[in-house]
Amino acid sequence: MDEYAELSDEQIIEKIKNIDQGLYAIIVSRYKDKLIRYANSIIKDTDKSVDIVQISLIKAYIDLKGFNTKKKFSSWMYRIVHNEALNLIKKYHKETPWIEDLDFSSDEDIEENFAQNEVVSMVGKCLKDIPLLYSEVLSLYYIEEKSHREISDILKIPMGTVAIRISRGKQIMKKICQKI
Amino acid sequence: MSKDIKNIEEKILSQIQKGEIKMKPRMYFVIGSIFAFVGFISTIIVSTFAISLIRFSLRAHGKMAQYRLDQVLSDFPWWIFIVGFLSLVIGIWLIYKYHIFYKIKPWIVILTFVLSIMISGWIINETGLDTKLFRQGPMKGLMRKYIQRNNISDISLLRQKINRF
Repeated sequence: MDEYAELSDEQIIEKIKNIDQGLYAIIVSRYKDKLIRYANSIIKDTDKSVDIVQISLIKAYIDLKGFNTKKKFSSWMYRIVHNEALNLIKKYHKETPWIEDLDFSSDEDIEENFAQNEVVSMVGKCLKDIPLLYSEVLSLYYIEEKSHREISDILKIPMGTVAIRISRGKQIMKKICQKI
Repeated sequence: MSKDIKNIEEKILSQIQKGEIKMKPRMYFVIGSIFAFVGFISTIIVSTFAISLIRFSLRAHGKMAQYRLDQVLSDFPWWIFIVGFLSLVIGIWLIYKYHIFYKIKPWIVILTFVLSIMISGWIINETGLDTKLFRQGPMKGLMRKYIQRNNISDISLLRQKINRF
């Protein structure tokens, strides 16, 4: 397996599709922790997050031949987890705050007030109290270290909307974290 | 917890090895994409021609048609209006479902989609392309029914009549 350590996800996927299906173990090993953390940021339940990630990894394997290896595998994989998590929320009618119409631009430059590492630390502490609309974007941006483009691909929203949600999320986080 | 996470790896790999989970063949995705694409294009074509026919129907009543509203409404092909509207809705649903153009703001996509269909329908009617297509194309049967129901003897005469206004 070590010989594949240097390969990108997309290269490994090509090999899984055409040569050795057992190599999917590398993908599972690379992603499981990150995906559980991400799923947990959406549904705020660790046990259910583990279930979601297991289902998502199985679904990803089943649909692997539909994945275009010219695109980024991580965005595709995170998208599957996102869908599964939202399906679970809908299924159990969990009252997770999902405020769709709160996007608005902000003139306030929060970057001046927060050092990057402070923000990361705050995201981890306050994420569970922030509406899902923003907590998910903040989690992807600060914890999973995804770019605006990748977040746009995962959530299937325009990049401008990603930037607005991050900015707005930071404002909400600032208010919430100050109370804690 | 860490045991559960470790189990994920074991469970998935054992299912793969036992053949309990299998990859869907590539053809499944190719056919799916083709159906989605054909469906999307069909909604555009149907709604464009529906708009073209609606405009044709309204123009067929000539000048001062607004004063003969009852006649206009009784002759109006409502079923085409419903088909056109449904096609538009399905087209918009497909855009959402398959996240086509997701990098653009949704309202811009929908507005552009609806406007381009309206404008295409208008252009097809203005250029007389609909007459040609109604005579030769797949819309032939549909148009014949409409002409018969409205006692129109010749579509070219009707068009000439419309163009005189």
